[in-house]
Amino acid sequence: MNRRKIWETLRPYVMILPAMLAILCFVIYPVFYLLKLSFYKYNLLNKAKSKFVGVDNYEQLFAKDEFYTALTNTVWYTIATVSLTMLIALLLALWINQKKGKKINALLQAGIFTPHIISIVSIALVWMLLMDPNHGILNFLLKLVGLPPSKWLQSSSTSMMSVILVSIWHGVGYYALIILAALKSVPPTIYEAAALDNASRFKTFYKITLPMISPQLFFILIIMTIGSFKVFDTVRIMTGGGPNNSTSTLVYHIYEYRSNNLGYASATGIVLMVIIAILTFVYFRMLSKKIHYQ
Amino acid sequence: MKKSVVGSMLVMVMLLGLVMGCSTNNNQPANDQPAAGASGGEGKTGKTKIQFWHSMGGNNGEYIDKMIKAYNESQDNVEVVGTFQGSYQETLTKLQQAVPANTAPDISMLERAFVPLLAEAEVLADFYPLLESTGMSEEDFLPGLLENVKFNGQLNALPFNRSTPLLHINKTLLDEKNLKVPATWDELEAVANALVVKENGEFKRYGYSMPYASWYPIAMIQQLKGAFFHAEGTGMGFDEEGVQTFEFLKKMQSTGALYYPPAQDSGNIVNSMFASGQIGMMMESTGVIGRHAGVVDFDYVTAYLPMKDQYSSPTGGANLVMFESSKNKEAAWDFMNWVFNDPKGGQQFILDSGYVPFTKKMAESAEMKAQWEKVPARKVAYEQLEHALDTNNDAAFAAVDQIFLKATEAIMYDNADIRSTLDSFKKEAEKLMQE
Repeated sequence: MNRRKIWETLRPYVMILPAMLAILCFVIYPVFYLLKLSFYKYNLLNKAKSKFVGVDNYEQLFAKDEFYTALTNTVWYTIATVSLTMLIALLLALWINQKKGKKINALLQAGIFTPHIISIVSIALVWMLLMDPNHGILNFLLKLVGLPPSKWLQSSSTSMMSVILVSIWHGVGYYALIILAALKSVPPTIYEAAALDNASRFKTFYKITLPMISPQLFFILIIMTIGSFKVFDTVRIMTGGGPNNSTSTLVYHIYEYRSNNLGYASATGIVLMVIIAILTFVYFRMLSKKIHYQ
Repeated sequence: MKKSVVGSMLVMVMLLGLVMGCSTNNNQPANDQPAAGASGGEGKTGKTKIQFWHSMGGNNGEYIDKMIKAYNESQDNVEVVGTFQGSYQETLTKLQQAVPANTAPDISMLERAFVPLLAEAEVLADFYPLLESTGMSEEDFLPGLLENVKFNGQLNALPFNRSTPLLHINKTLLDEKNLKVPATWDELEAVANALVVKENGEFKRYGYSMPYASWYPIAMIQQLKGAFFHAEGTGMGFDEEGVQTFEFLKKMQSTGALYYPPAQDSGNIVNSMFASGQIGMMMESTGVIGRHAGVVDFDYVTAYLPMKDQYSSPTGGANLVMFESSKNKEAAWDFMNWVFNDPKGGQQFILDSGYVPFTKKMAESAEMKAQWEKVPARKVAYEQLEHALDTNNDAAFAAVDQIFLKATEAIMYDNADIRSTLDSFKKEAEKLMQE
């Protein structure tokens, strides 16, 4: 009987052990290793030549303009991508959710989701062609309607905007689909009651729709913020962080120093991790009260 | 119930193995993983297997495969296995991971600027005794290509696919305007400006261009008798020379005489614009001669880089290195010796690919002379080696290069103040070099 009791207590731990081991091996261990590396002037080729330098890498990091540029770029990228993607995704979802024109809506739904299933690498390459200042279609169209052409990715004043544009185009369909699913799960009876009370459309949306889909919106907000903070692929392919660091983001900054200065890159990695942890914590604290879980 | 417990136990044991696997220390000797093959050893046929990593894709990749095949067929003792590892930078990254993991190849191609980094980590073999063992010496190689291969009294790398920047010219365009091939900076500026075509406020043709890389500004700094790193290797070797270089470029850029390309894919952009006549002249590597000679529909010629205070051109391309960890140095050397001396070896590769010949014997061979007769553009590259000079030999070059390019971007794309940008670059670079 006693043995049975021990098993009862142990069982949940045994059950989660496999998952925990995997996390330990592939998440916790690398994180601590990263922390260790960040205190070293690490020589990749000859370990014996690595030096413990204490917080030198962090001092170097916080004294570097380039780091602040990368940080500011990342913050702007995140704010723009997250807010615009959410707004456009919400509008698209509301549009598709209409009762009228079902066939066109189905087509639209498939259309906006397609970018999500294409590799971001291909998307970035195609957009690079579209944005070419001399031969690109976008400038051709701009000139056609009498607008001045843009340098797109090749000028530091427009490069970030161009990268953001591509990211939004890529992500919006996927998030619209999540919001659409949320909209469809709102019980119609609530809307019927609101209609009986003569509530205006705006009020219905603001007082009923929005709170009812808030868990999904919150989920998208968290996922997208973290994802945007880690943006890399579009930057790597389309701009290489340039021109003149105008699109250099934190992860790209880490990538740039991966082989020349591993310790410094690790220190940047730790800082990025801390920022994302703080952001996530703040989100949960601030928004948890405003979210309506059914 | 019982079944699932047994199952989860099994999974646990497997995961435990995984954990042990991923915490395995790198310090363990490599002999517990003979299957990896990267550290060489006896092949099935009794031949000694030599691993050779290179960075040659496309046509050049085929030429190098051809060379390896010719060697493997020429004898029965050694089998060389060539592996394409991506670009020079990717090859370096892979080597940086392979060396500590004890899976480094016996021989590798290594971009010349990365040699100091590996030499300083003391992982490269010394070629002096090996050269001696087959009656060769460093005298057999062209001196202009041996600028940064010697460290701490050792010879750590030998030239292979080396290149140098040249002035590539669309002679047809110059002839239309009765312009002479420029030999000095002043002439370059005048000719480039004369070639500019501007319609409706848009440039239809630029005079001159160069890809986005530090190689080209370094050439110009050297032509002003400056150096990238100064000889003692403790700091930067230019001051006013840097300012003058960028002032010259900015002046030309402002009139359309210079087209400075976007950083991404700059080489391709510049070369295709040159081939289509949108650019009259360009400073580019010898490596692109094959892309234009006999292909473009205009009179294509090459010339020395225009001089200022002197002629000077840095060198580029890659060297061959052998790793100290190799267990088959003799066999690996047998292959390299063949590459350096056999007409079917390096010489054939150079003839095929268009890189500059790197041994004296090669440069004097009848085959090479016959090719120069056919494609004079190639001969210019060889002759210019007389003015070859490398002033960027330091283990910190890769790191300094990175911030030099950032300064270049600030100046060329965003009109940053030249002097203050270079000053802050130099401060940061000197810090990197002292580390």
